[in-house]
Order: sequence, then C-alpha cells, then structure tokens
Amino acid sequence: MISEREASKYPFLKEAASLLEHLEIDIENLTDQRYRPILDRGEERVIQAIRYGVVGGGLKDDLAEFLSFPIAVMLVSMTRDPFLERRYALAEAVRARRLLESEDEGRIAEIARGEFRWRIKVQRREIEDTIYSFELHFVDYLRNSSSFREDKWRLINRILTEGYVLLTKAEAVRLLQVEVEELIRRLSSRRVESNMPEQIMERLGRIKRTLDESRSSIGDSALPSEVIHGAFPPCITHSYRTLTAGGRLSHIERFTLSSFLLNIGMEPERIVQLFVSASDFDEGLTRYQIEHISGLRGSRTRYTPPNCMTMRTHGICHNPDSLCGKVKHPLSYYRRRASELRMSPKARKDR
Amino acid sequence: MAEDWGSTSFLEEQFRRYYRAGVAKVDPPLEMERREFGFLPFDGGVMIRHTSFSDPSQLHAFIMEKAPAHIYYSSAYYREPRADMESKGWIGADMVFDIDADHMETPCRMNHDAWRCNLCGAEGMGRAPERCPKCGGTTLEEETWVCDICLDKAKGEAQKLLDILIQDFGIPLEYLKVNFTGNRGYHIHITAPWIRGLDQRARREIVDYVTGSGMRIELLGFRPGVKGSSPLHGLGWRGRASKALYDYLAKPPPRLLEEVRRGRGKKMRSITDSRDEILKVLGEGPPSGILKYLGRESLNRLMEEAVREQAAAVDTVVTMDIHRLIRLPNTLNGKTGLIAQPVSVEGLEDYDPLSSSIAFKGGEVPIYVRRAPMFRLGGEKYGPFKEEPASLPLAAAIFLLCRKAARIGR
Ligand code: SF4
Ligand SMILES: [Zn+2]
Ligand SMILES: [Zn+2]
Repeated sequence: MISEREASKYPFLKEAASLLEHLEIDIENLTDQRYRPILDRGEERVIQAIRYGVVGGGLKDDLAEFLSFPIAVMLVSMTRDPFLERRYALAEAVRARRLLESEDEGRIAEIARGEFRWRIKVQRREIEDTIYSFELHFVDYLRNSSSFREDKWRLINRILTEGYVLLTKAEAVRLLQVEVEELIRRLSSRRVESNMPEQIMERLGRIKRTLDESRSSIGDSALPSEVIHGAFPPCITHSYRTLTAGGRLSHIERFTLSSFLLNIGMEPERIVQLFVSASDFDEGLTRYQIEHISGLRGSRTRYTPPNCMTMRTHGICHNPDSLCGKVKHPLSYYRRRASELRMSPKARKDR
Repeated sequence: MAEDWGSTSFLEEQFRRYYRAGVAKVDPPLEMERREFGFLPFDGGVMIRHTSFSDPSQLHAFIMEKAPAHIYYSSAYYREPRADMESKGWIGADMVFDIDADHMETPCRMNHDAWRCNLCGAEGMGRAPERCPKCGGTTLEEETWVCDICLDKAKGEAQKLLDILIQDFGIPLEYLKVNFTGNRGYHIHITAPWIRGLDQRARREIVDYVTGSGMRIELLGFRPGVKGSSPLHGLGWRGRASKALYDYLAKPPPRLLEEVRRGRGKKMRSITDSRDEILKVLGEGPPSGILKYLGRESLNRLMEEAVREQAAAVDTVVTMDIHRLIRLPNTLNGKTGLIAQPVSVEGLEDYDPLSSSIAFKGGEVPIYVRRAPMFRLGGEKYGPFKEEPASLPLAAAIFLLCRKAARIGR
C-alpha cells in the first residue's frame, strides 16, 4: 500500500485512490468538525488554482493533505465550469511536476509506467552538453508532446533511436505534467451529485465568486494600470484569454500577443511572468524571446504585431467587431478604443 | 460510337479473366471486417464505397463478379465500415507512406510526360506548369508514364524511408509491408498495433521526421561551445545529417557552393578553401567546431540541401490522412494492368517492378496507338508510337489500353 506521504504528494495516483477506498469516508461525515481542515484545504487548492495558476503549500498532516485533493476535485466538478476545470487541472499538474523534479529517475519511471503505461527506460547517456536520463517510446512521446510548439520538442529535433526518444529528466517530467493535467481534467469533469451539505455549498459559492471576479480580471491584475484591458481588439483578447486559461498558443499568436503588450507599454518582465505563470513556458527561453521582440536583444528593433490582413491569413483574427472594419492594425484598434474609454467613463460599461 | 480509347469492355473482360484464375492471391488486409472497401469500375462510374466484407471468400466473389479497374481498402479500422463517414466510428489506422515519382524531379520526365491545357488546348512535354504558358489557364491535364529511371528513384526513396523506420523508429520487419503500386511508386505500410491510435498531428511529426523537415541544426549539436566527439556516428538525424553534410562537402555540387559563397559576400572565404578543415571537424568533432568556418546561415542552407539527399520523399498530405483508401495489394492497377505487388524488405533492392508485376501472359493483340513514349515491360522495349497500328503481346497492349493511349483494332 502506498504511504500517506506519497499519497499526499501525488494524490491522483491509482494507488492513492485505493487508499481512499480503504479509509471508507462517508459524505455524510464530511461536515464533521474533524474534517474541517481538509475541507478548508480542498477549497484552498481550487482558490490557489484560480488566483495563481498553481497549487502550492499544503498541510503538515499527510493524510489530511491527501484527502483535500478529492474534495477539491469534487468542488471543481460541481461548478461545471470548463474554464475552471482546465485551470485547476493545469495548476495541479504544475504542482505535481515540481514535486516530480526532485524525485530520482527510478521513481519517475515507476509513475510513468504504472500510472500512464509509458514505455520508458531509465538510461543515462551524455551527449555533448546534455545529460539524458530516459528513453521513451516515440508513440508515448508524440501523444504528449504534440501540443508543444517549441522546435526542441519536434520529433525531427530529438534523438530517436530504435523506437525510443532520448529525454532529459526535466523533459520527461514536463511530459508527465501533460498526462497529469489530462488525468485531472478527466477526474474533475465527472459529474457529481450537486445535492451536498450546506458546508460544502457555502464553499462552492465562495469558489464561484472568486472565479467570477478573476475571470474578467485574471489578466487585469497582471497588467499595469496604464494598460487598458478593455481596449484590446478581439484577436488579442482571444489569445490573452486562451493563455490565462492555460490554453496553448501558436507561435504566431505568442509573437502577436507579446509584441502587442510590449507596444502598449507593458514591462517585458511582466510579460515574461504572464507567460510563465499562465502556461508554464520555460522561463529562460521566454525571457529571451520577449527581450528579443522588445529590441533589448538581437537586432535592437522593437517588433510590432502583424497587421490585420496578416492576422487574417494566419487565421488568428478572431471575432472581429465593428471597429475592426475601420482599422488595419490591432494597435490602431487599441489606440482608438483606449481614447474612447478615457474620454467617456460610460463606454467602459459597454465592454 | 466515339473513339473508344482504352476499349474498356475489353479491359474489363481481361481483368475478370485474370481474377477468375487468380483471385485467391488477393490477400485481404489485417482485420478485414473493420475496413472499408472501395471499387472503381471500368465504366467510368463513381467509386463504390462504404462496403465491407467479413471473410476473404466474400471479397473474392465480389471482385470476380465486378472485375473493377481499381480496388482499395481503408488504412483505417472502423466500428461500422459500411456506415457513412460521420458514423463509421474510427478506431485507428495503419500508417501508409506514399512514395510516388509524380512528386519527384527526374530528368526523364521531359521525355515521357506530357501536359495539355483544358482551356486552350496547348500542349507540352514534361511536368505540367502551374499555369498554361499560352492562356494562363490553371486546369492542365498531366500524362505521366512508368519508366525505369523514375521507378529506380522511387525505390531509392523507399529504401531510405525503410532505413529510417527500422533504425530510428525501431519498427520490426514483421510490421513493415512494402508494395509496388502497379504504377509509379511504392506504398510502405506500418501495421504495428501501437501506431494505429496516432492522430494526424502525431503522424505529421513522423512525416516531418522522415522528410527531414523543420530541422534546427543548433538542436543537433551545431551550436557554439558544445563539446563532444564526431557527430558522424551520432544517433538518429545527428548522424544522418552529419553524414549527409560530409558527403555533400566531399563532393559538392558547384552550383550550391557558388550560391552560398555569394550569399555570404566577402566576409567569408569560399567554403572550398576551408573544406578540408570542415571535413576534419566532422570526422573528429565536436560539431560546434564547424561554426569557425561557416556562419550559421550558410551551415543551415548547406545542411538543408544535404539533408534532402538523406531524407525520404514521401507525400506529406496523403501520408497524414487517417481516412484514406489505399490500393489493395495483389490486385490489378487499372492505370497499367500491372499487379500492385508486395515486395519483401530484403528483396526490394533487386526487385524489378516492370518484370515481376506483369499479370497478363501471351497473346498478340492488334491495337491502334495514338501516342506513347518508349516503354519497357519484362525484357522487351516497345514504342515510341504515334498514330499507328501495332501488334503487341497482351501485357503491353493492356498497358497502353489502360493508359488510354490505344484502342483495340486497326
Ligand atoms: S480586424 Fe484586426 S484588430 Fe480586429 S480582430 Fe481582426 S486582427 Fe484584430
Ligand atoms: Zn491554355
Ligand atoms: Zn522517368
């Protein structure tokens, strides 16, 4: 049987679930005073996911910490909100990845095999400046990497031999994050009975309120005051929302979004943080790219986002509105709408 | 009756005769009951689709009765192969690589291929241009012919692909099936169960891998400061690309060298000056050492060209398709009358498609040929023909009829 310590670290494991069955916890008893810290922590997990995009901290008592996970999953699924399901799944997956990073190769492979049926071998190889710790079958590799856009994840740029892709420890763990995210999304999209004790419903209400506050401002809080979120053109709003909801952006969308934010005066470092916290991009690489676009590096010219026509040909001109018909560039859309908003406080309501 | 180029009723009869005698050779695909079958009849009608068979004898009976010009089956496995596309219930699909000389530049195409503009009737030899040079029309008909040079090129591509699939992807031979298409190329099937569930995105990654697309040299170790040994023995594309570069530099095509040199202006001495040093670095490593002699840009371009030599030319779009119909092995190709024929991986090297795949033996048939370049079947050469009667062995006559280049009679 899995230890309580392990179950608290990786509460999504099948073994952990069987531990739960073993404990025979009854919904009726949930409101018992003893369970209060568990419920608190369960609620906190979800709130952390909404606010910070990652689940952190935790209770000292391993068993209680573990038990807060199924509570959190239950709360999320009770909201029936796909946005929250995604955001929560990502936040838990990032937490898991951080923990997995400090495990040894054997344990990582064990979880990958046992939980996700990966064909993975622990095999250390040093090639040039890289230490590879694993070999993963290409089918498992492709299933989990195909949503990544960076060149280094493309199969062509990997070392592939006899059916196996060489992976560093960090890469293996990054791919595991995808599996964990998928698994948790499945768990929390299961429908549960919504007829729950008052205690639970109260918590659900708090989560929904936090969610509503954040949904409109999940980005706003990350923006400096001079940036007017309500003046974003539809295309930018779309990629911004996708990003903050933990969704994936294409290369061109990322470029467009970062160059747009830079051009309306957002600090490069804040943009880096926005990308890293929302979607768990590699921080160093993201900083490099953003600084490049901002002209701090490389050619020393600041890039501007593509014009509307180019946006259209790339298929990323999303839901254009009436103002779109009058402008040819997302930045001019922003300038016009921003000055409108500054002039009449009423217009703000319309957005 | 209008001129009956192709004499389809004659062809249909011959195909039926062939299948009556040899339909048992038609191997049904793996898990045949989950596949959709498609048939293209001789009468020019539409494809008979959404059919399925639960056992070989059913399939054989159908083929003997209809004697179709082309027989296909789905690379996909469906829950309901007879249902229409939306409700078939896709379970998975084999991966089938399409290697077709139609997509390759071979020097012989000027001699045997021809095009015609549907709008103004202009004609020319070789591949069809994008637009008609005379009227600018974009609907051009292309006529391509089977030829030894083209087929050799296609075979070479098939061998490179097999090499990559075996060495890099580790696909066991038992799951690799090579088929001559009966026309201008080869199909390579991966039937391994673990391939079946891959979606199109994943398949695209595999196609990009075998075609060498999207390679970034810095990710192959060609970046400053990297230590290590010679990349020539590297695994996967590292070794393959480095070997490609080595061969390329050892005997470079002059055109490219000139281009690269000009592209870099005066900053760089010609590559040929430092060629020996570069080859030495490739042989001893580390790969980053090359950057002393070549800028990143030049190296990138050189590599791209070199890699093209090592990559397999497969048709990306067709290969990614997870719903497509592919020619059933050991059936006749209605465009040539040749057998779409399985070839063993080991036997591919010595395989002569234009002899082994001949289905029809014997007989002299009097035909009238409107136009055909010289072609070979078995040990014999025929043609070229232009508006003339000829008496040819059955296989050659059927070949021309299938090309719609001739009709029965004088
Ligand atoms: S028209 Fe321009 S500004 Fe408007 S949505 Fe499209 S790309 Fe964005
Ligand atoms: Zn024309
Ligand atoms: Zn040819």
